Amino acid sequence: MKKILIAISLFLSFNLAKAQDLVKKIPSNAFTVATIKGDNVFKLMFVKDFNESFVGKKLLTETSKSLDKNFTSIEDFGINLEKNMYYFNQLSDSITYNCFLIPIKDARKFESLIENKEKKFTQQGDIRTMVLPDSTSIIKWNNNMLYFVTGSIRGSFFADSVKSAKYGIKDIRFQSEQTLIDSVAIDSAVGVTAEPMVETVEAPVIEKAKVQKKSTVKKNTKKTVASKKSGKKKNAKKVKDEPLEIIYPEGTSDSTGMTPAHGQVDEQYDVYQKELAEQDLKKKRLAFTWMTVQADQIFNGTYESIETNKSYTASLDNKAIAELWVSSLQDVYNSIAPEFGTYGKAGLMKGYGSLNAKLFMDNKSFRISTGLEMAQEQADAYKKIMNRKLNKKFLNYVNSEKALGFMSYSIDTKAYLEEFPKLLKQTYGSFLGAKMDEEIDLGTELFSLLLDEEAVSKVIKGDALFVINGLKTKEVTYTTYEYDDDYKQKEVTKTKNETLPDFLFMFSSEDHRLIDKLIKYGIHKNMVTVENNIYKIQEKKSPIDIYFMIKDGIVFFGNSLSEMQSISNNQYNSKISKLHKDLLSKNNFSFLFNAKNLVGKVPDSEIGGAETAKKFNSTLEKMGNVYMKSNPIKGRLVSADISAEIPNGHENALKYLFSLIENAAK
Amino acid sequence: MNPKQLYKLLLFVLLIPILSSCFEVIEEISMKNDGTGDVVLTINLSQSKTKVASVMLLDSVQGYKVPSRQKIQQELNEAVAYLKKSEGISNVKSSSDFNNYIATISFSFKDVSNINNITKNILAQQKIKATNTSSYSYNKSTKTFSRKYQAVSTAKTEFNKLKAKDKAVFNGATYTSIYRFESPVTSSTNPASNVSKSKKAVMLKSSIMDLINGKINVSNTIQLSK
Repeated sequence: MKKILIAISLFLSFNLAKAQDLVKKIPSNAFTVATIKGDNVFKLMFVKDFNESFVGKKLLTETSKSLDKNFTSIEDFGINLEKNMYYFNQLSDSITYNCFLIPIKDARKFESLIENKEKKFTQQGDIRTMVLPDSTSIIKWNNNMLYFVTGSIRGSFFADSVKSAKYGIKDIRFQSEQTLIDSVAIDSAVGVTAEPMVETVEAPVIEKAKVQKKSTVKKNTKKTVASKKSGKKKNAKKVKDEPLEIIYPEGTSDSTGMTPAHGQVDEQYDVYQKELAEQDLKKKRLAFTWMTVQADQIFNGTYESIETNKSYTASLDNKAIAELWVSSLQDVYNSIAPEFGTYGKAGLMKGYGSLNAKLFMDNKSFRISTGLEMAQEQADAYKKIMNRKLNKKFLNYVNSEKALGFMSYSIDTKAYLEEFPKLLKQTYGSFLGAKMDEEIDLGTELFSLLLDEEAVSKVIKGDALFVINGLKTKEVTYTTYEYDDDYKQKEVTKTKNETLPDFLFMFSSEDHRLIDKLIKYGIHKNMVTVENNIYKIQEKKSPIDIYFMIKDGIVFFGNSLSEMQSISNNQYNSKISKLHKDLLSKNNFSFLFNAKNLVGKVPDSEIGGAETAKKFNSTLEKMGNVYMKSNPIKGRLVSADISAEIPNGHENALKYLFSLIENAAK
Repeated sequence: MNPKQLYKLLLFVLLIPILSSCFEVIEEISMKNDGTGDVVLTINLSQSKTKVASVMLLDSVQGYKVPSRQKIQQELNEAVAYLKKSEGISNVKSSSDFNNYIATISFSFKDVSNINNITKNILAQQKIKATNTSSYSYNKSTKTFSRKYQAVSTAKTEFNKLKAKDKAVFNGATYTSIYRFESPVTSSTNPASNVSKSKKAVMLKSSIMDLINGKINVSNTIQLSK
């Protein structure tokens, strides 16, 4: 078993390629598909390099040790490293299949991996089948591919007595002795009438056991039962909702003081346990039968493959190292929804379609790209909202040489205010149910009526930039004590340096009459002071000074007076890099953190000592730019990317990752 | 982003370099020859006021709820009220400075042993388990002042359970105790303590970390000239 697991985990850790091969074997109704692209992986790192890497060596020696073999290359595992490896799952109301498709280069090498004394695989033609010891998984392979499937029966399906009866399975829950005395005893535990189930019960053993218990139990307990009924009932109810083991013996005997019947209760519980085990076994057998059929189908059947699914094919990217695709968020939600009870019916995910994620690694960075398909209506709404670019003038206030990071967003305030109620209705309307439709309509109307979207959008256009242009050391005073020759305390004021980030926040405003009025009010109330058009917020509680000003249709906030002054005098020293410029000007949302600009800038004393500071700085040094951005909406697809640049001196991201692992292991 | 969110983001950025802060705890006891005396307890967070001010504006930090100014004031008032009721204690005063984050409590005692259980009880009132056992005594006839201190071992274990970044809060924190007398000091047993030039005061300074870890013991027996 252990060897097989190792073999499987090996496959999972690498993988393989060209889209046209094993993908054909994935049924069109697959729910999730994950791919690892062997050719792209091994383009970044040759197999030889991998074998010689720290991770590779570790893997080979560990595998060799545990399988008592001598592996010198990952090619020894028999997998075709130049092809794609897939994972997919299929959901139905009764069973979930988790499946792996792995390309094989040398079946004999693979067999030697799983070979042991009790070689248990069977062969039919060139198809070999192996059943894992507990029958929960099946591995099937030929000379080109390997298929691994494991299935799990869904509890919710067999909780439905009519459906489960069809398969001769009963839903067992522990019940009070009342039902045990009843001749249909355990069958009726769910509270469903037992009649339709009795005839379908297959295992005679269970019936017998029940009959025996029935007579013995009846005799010794009748009295106790009658008198302790109420207490018992309570307990039984609780039992229904909880997992079995915990509940039983002590709990009941304690709360009811039912000492004489204790033995009987234990017996009853044993019967229940036995029944439960029987039913579990039946479920397992059923799952196994279904898996066998499913696996045969994958190997021998003809069916429509996932390639016919446009959403899936559109999500692919040749350059990705790994890909993940989930057919539909709405479907995911609906499939788990029954378990949520009433809330499940609401269809909260209405309007959200397939989800995809792709991992890229190249000579510059790691990148994860994610996408979400939306309903047309929703996508249109977002398109309107996103129809704004960041104010170009903002770019004049970014100093890439010093900037620790920034965050920007640009939306069309007017469109947002107009679309927002609709989006809200779409999401929560179904949640609240049809009953509330009128109220929601009323609410959205009222919202529009109260707000003049046009006017608001002039005050706050919808674009903003928050940037930290470096750190500043500020002298602060503090109170401490000195002691004279007599140790008499004297309060003294000392100064020390504190490092604070210099931030600048700006947003566009076409119509700042309202803001002007607010400022006037603030000055009047002594909450704001002004000097050369730069306002200072008088807030004693605030640990930092905050200044603001309005210039060229931009409202600025910041904690550095000198920065504010240079903006005011048109002397701001801006040096924006191309990366920063592109990120900010081309996307509706962007975020960037440049760790390098932080290295050594924070005094050790503020990080908690020299040692912590050293670790802190060396971590930062190893980080390149990390950034996030939203992409333009294409069709119905909303997408965003997260990238992490690798430091200089590393060939590519994969090799860098390997070196990180090696360092971490040292 | 509304201004409040922006402000919180700012504070978060300010707090990034971990919450290590400096603060001082000072305990002063002035003994008269007749055994009466005064106590001044001071906690001074002034050196970390930027951070404290930032923290005070947040609801919680590192998973701990940040008490409001009102709450702190209220607790201080409760401590004063408690002291006023305590046996042998009089002249109770407190002050708080929320610009520099300094709080003091001062009071007079009839006998130094009156203060033995006070700290413990005040802490208990705030549902904090005392981390040490400490007792003072003054023998009028022999003119001996002594402080017995026993670090409770659970304090160290409890402290070690804290996350590293929570422990860092105590980096740089100091504890100072000053005992003043009317008669000159002839000996002070604690090697970490210093006797003033005038010989009428004894001071002991230690880092709070050392106290918690039991590296330093503040027990002392001070003999005054007869």
